[in-house]
Amino acid sequence: MKLLRGVYEGPQSYGILRVAASIRGVHALLRALPGEAYFRTLHGARERTGEMAPVTLSPLREGRDSSMAPGNLVRDLSGVVRRHPKTEIVILVRSEASLLAGETIPATTLPEVEGTGRPPELVKFPWEEPAMRETEAAELALEDLIRARMHDRPERSPYPTVNLFGPPIFGPGAMAEYAEAERLLDMVGVEVNARVPLGANTGDLGRLPRAWANVLLYREVGESATLYLQDEFGMPRVTTPMIGAAGTGAALRAVGELCQLDPKSVQRTIWAELARTAKLPWYARLEPPETFQNRRVAIFGDFTYPLGLGYALAREVGLEVTACGTYLTHLERDFLFHAHTFTEGAFVEDDPDEVAARIEAAKPDLVVGTHLEQGVADSLGVPFLPLCPPVADRPFVGRPLMGYAGSSVLADALDNALRRASVEPAGEAGMQWTDGALQEAAEVPLFLRGRARRLAEERARRQGSGMVTRDIFLESRS
Amino acid sequence: MTILNESGIPDVLPPLHAVNGLAERLPDVLVVVVGTQAEAHLVQCLSAVPSPNLPPSRRDQRVIFAIIDPNDPPQQGLLASRIVESAAGLRGTSLVLLVAGRTAESLGVDAEFEARLVARKLDLPSEVVNPDAPREVPGILSTDLEDRVLTVLVNLCPKRKTSDLVETASPAKRGGLFGGLLGRGIEPSDSNDGRPVVLLGGTLKPGAAQGLAAELSRAGVEVAGAVPGSGMGELPPLGEGTVVAVMDPNLSSAATAAERRGATVVKTLMPVGVDGTARFVQDVAEEAGTRISEVARARSAWEDLGVLRNRIRGKRIFFTGDTGLEIPLARFLADAGAVVLEVGAPRLDRRFLAAELQTLGPDVDVVVSPDYRGQTNRIDESRPDVVISSPGLHLPLVARGHLCRSPRDFLEAGHYGYGGARRILELLVRTMDRAETLDSLNL
Repeated sequence: MKLLRGVYEGPQSYGILRVAASIRGVHALLRALPGEAYFRTLHGARERTGEMAPVTLSPLREGRDSSMAPGNLVRDLSGVVRRHPKTEIVILVRSEASLLAGETIPATTLPEVEGTGRPPELVKFPWEEPAMRETEAAELALEDLIRARMHDRPERSPYPTVNLFGPPIFGPGAMAEYAEAERLLDMVGVEVNARVPLGANTGDLGRLPRAWANVLLYREVGESATLYLQDEFGMPRVTTPMIGAAGTGAALRAVGELCQLDPKSVQRTIWAELARTAKLPWYARLEPPETFQNRRVAIFGDFTYPLGLGYALAREVGLEVTACGTYLTHLERDFLFHAHTFTEGAFVEDDPDEVAARIEAAKPDLVVGTHLEQGVADSLGVPFLPLCPPVADRPFVGRPLMGYAGSSVLADALDNALRRASVEPAGEAGMQWTDGALQEAAEVPLFLRGRARRLAEERARRQGSGMVTRDIFLESRS
Repeated sequence: MTILNESGIPDVLPPLHAVNGLAERLPDVLVVVVGTQAEAHLVQCLSAVPSPNLPPSRRDQRVIFAIIDPNDPPQQGLLASRIVESAAGLRGTSLVLLVAGRTAESLGVDAEFEARLVARKLDLPSEVVNPDAPREVPGILSTDLEDRVLTVLVNLCPKRKTSDLVETASPAKRGGLFGGLLGRGIEPSDSNDGRPVVLLGGTLKPGAAQGLAAELSRAGVEVAGAVPGSGMGELPPLGEGTVVAVMDPNLSSAATAAERRGATVVKTLMPVGVDGTARFVQDVAEEAGTRISEVARARSAWEDLGVLRNRIRGKRIFFTGDTGLEIPLARFLADAGAVVLEVGAPRLDRRFLAAELQTLGPDVDVVVSPDYRGQTNRIDESRPDVVISSPGLHLPLVARGHLCRSPRDFLEAGHYGYGGARRILELLVRTMDRAETLDSLNL
């Protein structure tokens, strides 16, 4: 048991629904308590397109099942087919409450769709368990959905193509990440066969082996699906995160090699982009070295973003990455392995308070994280960039962080954050604290402690006191 | 009025979303949500006051998630001791609420036991709120958690027996915890037949009860306070001899709790709209021992609204149903001349809402546990002028070209009392005006 003040990931059902809602032609039947069905509302609020999420609730009710009201699983499944005749895959997702209730899922077949004479495919996830989390479930669900569509072995395309495995729906810039990767691949002469999962349809899933290689933009969700495609169809993978100019270049060169492109022509495209689009190297050269000297940054997030950003900020910009963490505990070993290439402060943690403590201990001048790190950045009084999912932003126009265009977005963000930080007057150092005040401060929850300390010191300064006493501290908190 | 039961899946925001709003509204309460990752994620994703444009969720330090590993359920008492540790860092906590539903139960957490332990160790009241506990009337409203929390607060109000009545009224004894409140408000009437009134409701809008309290004191009624009022420290005495005036139609269990404590719950209209407010003030006053007539007041308020009523007349309004606030709103708007096409009621407590239902115009259809897909079709067919929609349907309906407002917008605007009647109409007129302006643009 853990007492937390926030969570980074949702439950497994949420991860599966994110993947399902990313792929056209998939409809999910969610077996859950009536009070657990928030995906549709969230989908509306996050996406703001007005489209209804392809999710139907099959409410878990107690007592007899005599009425015709929804709640009977078999009937609800046929209801989905009847109401959504264009659906090609129906998936059954079970919420925590349903899994914990231990109900048995009846073996069932779906009725035929009127007109076509054949039923949609029913995909169930026998591995679902209540302790599983969003990202891991999303990864497994994507693999299962792809397996379900692998009926035959499609021919490899006559010209070089790749599949893009990117983030699922709700990433604020998810669509933009795919678009930027596709733009760059198009420039080196590689066509995108399919975007998976966001933007794919069920037909695309069956045609994935047409491509020559799989480019993993977002390993968290695409890992096991691409491994399956590698084992089954011998499709090679490109796993370098396309973040920063160096990462993007490396990924493009790897794709070029796998697609047997002329390395010189790939390099020419890269140079052209470096001259035109990619502003991160330009920003790094333009700023005097003093801007980055002894500037520490703490990064926290999922897997791809903290690693990609960490590498770019450490190597391409020259900031000191004093902490870099992930909340994806199931990827611990992988994460630490990669993070150790650019930082000493790699860690894995899923308690926001502990993360805040880690970040505080790293004494950063800049915090890059999820929306849960806003508090610690505020309390430290340092600039904050919410660049790692989950973030609370819901922009109408998504901006990429990947690719060369993404590197320019990053350059702008850094430019704003670091310039603002250098203008701010540095707080007076060396304010003394009485023992009583220190004792009181120790009672404050970790993630608020920095802010409380800062407020107390400000108050002491305003009162002309060179020392924070217990009274001043308590006054500043009331 | 016709009541149909559609036995469908209503579009209702999960009641658990209200945790953030409640923590914000009741600043001296520590809320511990007990369950798995799922509950924590839900509470974090759905913010305090949900509107179609959910603002980013903020972390409230008074909301803590106790996440239980299904493979390793905790020993009895561990949860309590962890809560005690966390509460130590928070100043001014006067109530610990354990929100523990079905998941906690199936993981073997005895929330009642843990709450008792917390109460003993912290020497504070600690109560369990079970969002999944069965209700007398089936169905779900997005405001269910507010109702259950108010039930807890009602039970925490100091009791007031008839014998205390005389004592409390004498100034010498008025030094206790709640005596100050009585003294600060309106002086208790000297006549013994005047009974103090407690307002119940207005949970999400701070200060919502003040207007009504002023209206009642104008009528000569002693208002002892409101639940939830402004926090634990100011809960009014509630028990035998207290008159409870329920402000919201979705507070059936809180009202029942008040009744169980011996208070008289006034069965009348909700204080929404001119008629509703007049009946409310009149009936509450009568129960409290003051006979007044609100007819003149209501008539002048009604006439003042003439211009606004003209703008609403004939407009067709559809309520999809979510919070339970829809029924009094529909009653008022139908009175004001609007055509109410349908009122969705994910749960309808006919006994509790008897007065409201009786007054609902003859042409209004109430659909109990409506199906959101059916509603969407009916809205598409009937093309109402305004849809008062639940959050899940808001964007899809706007995308289909319907004009939507959330029932919570009325709550935000302050919909109680005579002033509230004006604000309700103004809000609708403003909505329609703006739509007209936007429609006239040549894009």
